[in-house]
Amino acid sequence: MRWTVIWDYREALWSGLQLTVEITLLSIAGALLLGVLIGCLRQVPGYFLGRAVMAYVEVIRNIPSVVKVFFLYFVVGLDALPAAVIGLSLHQSGYISDVLDAGFRSIPREQSEAAWACGHNRLQIFVFVLLPQVWAIVLPALASQLIEIVKNSAAAMLLGIKELTFQTQNIDVETFRGFEAATVVTLIYLGLALGIAGIMTMLERRIEWR
Amino acid sequence: MAVRGSAFGPVEPTATDRWLWRAAVAGTLVAGLVLLRHERWEVVMASGPFLFKSLGISWLLTLAAIGIGLPAGILLALLRTGGPTPLKQIAVGVIEVVRATPQLMVIFWVFFAMPALTGHKVPAWTAAIISLSLIAASYLAEVMRAGILSVPRIQIESGLATGMTRTQILSSIVLPQALRNMVPALIATLIMMFKITSLIYVVGITDFFRAVILINNREFEPIALYTTLAVGYFVCCWVLSLLVRWLDPKYVLAH
Repeated sequence: MRWTVIWDYREALWSGLQLTVEITLLSIAGALLLGVLIGCLRQVPGYFLGRAVMAYVEVIRNIPSVVKVFFLYFVVGLDALPAAVIGLSLHQSGYISDVLDAGFRSIPREQSEAAWACGHNRLQIFVFVLLPQVWAIVLPALASQLIEIVKNSAAAMLLGIKELTFQTQNIDVETFRGFEAATVVTLIYLGLALGIAGIMTMLERRIEWR
Repeated sequence: MAVRGSAFGPVEPTATDRWLWRAAVAGTLVAGLVLLRHERWEVVMASGPFLFKSLGISWLLTLAAIGIGLPAGILLALLRTGGPTPLKQIAVGVIEVVRATPQLMVIFWVFFAMPALTGHKVPAWTAAIISLSLIAASYLAEVMRAGILSVPRIQIESGLATGMTRTQILSSIVLPQALRNMVPALIATLIMMFKITSLIYVVGITDFFRAVILINNREFEPIALYTTLAVGYFVCCWVLSLLVRWLDPKYVLAH
């Protein structure tokens, strides 16, 4: 084993890390936006809308993220980066909406009923009773969903985006030192996951204190 | 499939609602077929046997990963819940590292590590099955741990009080209940693993995903082929997810 290969490729790995972080952050923004929106839409009482949103979630959940990314790239004809970001956002939005839905459900029904009895309408109950509480409930589960986005971002390499996993394979192709590269890059991914987990724990504390 | 309702309570559909929904689904499907009618479906038809064989390979890999991953996962879970400290830490390390690393990276890591550790190149199939089993074992270990922890502690204490050994308690009290409690989660892991096999093509195994890529490289018919790909994965996973929901209506699929 020859670990100096990592130092020789530090610039490639650094640019790979930047791309991974870029894809991850964009996908997190997209997935949160879409996922939270759909999670809230699932709370609107109404048969038709409920079924339609569930159908969307089912389709999203039962297709691998890579297939979505490839579908967007080859069938829809997007560029590699937008295809990856939109694919990952769509993929995780289904799961995030599930997390939110479970959070809304775990709030005792009595609270909504009490607010209803006080004369608030459904929108008011949703905005002033349910929404403020749901964040504290969903944060831990949301953290693992965001880590999923970091993990799934590796699929972007399959479209030729030169992110971390791509650089790993490239090091193996050029120097046959894939083991060393893969070990170091695994550690980098662990660092990213720990970073997200840390940020989410900090958020959780802030929400608890308030 | 029952609609689960919202935070405001269950939604009771009328007969008209149901028929409207069925009409909407049928309408969407018909619209999809009309939109896609000019694609060269004969390309997909001609490759039918090849596609079915590769789908079988995807399933074979999934089942192999679960078959090896389940005993390994049970072992990891037992070590994590009640093993001696050094082994416990190793189990925690393996489970958390594998679960926090991209699956693609785990596959690459095993693929690269095997020659580095054994000294000679290993067949792609070996690397594929080892890496998928490793992933399955880590996720199943957490599923199993939840199952073990779901057995009330008082039962274990009762077992100890009546003079049973730890092995007896494990085999006749904890594991039977834990395994029964984890059946929905086990099928959910099966769905997850089936989706993960779509990444295994990077080591050169012709699974369902690679089969479609290969045909597309020759025929360049992306719309028909990738639609078939998405529908194929959807149908396989959806049927299993219906099974999960039938077994446990409250189960939340997290991967």
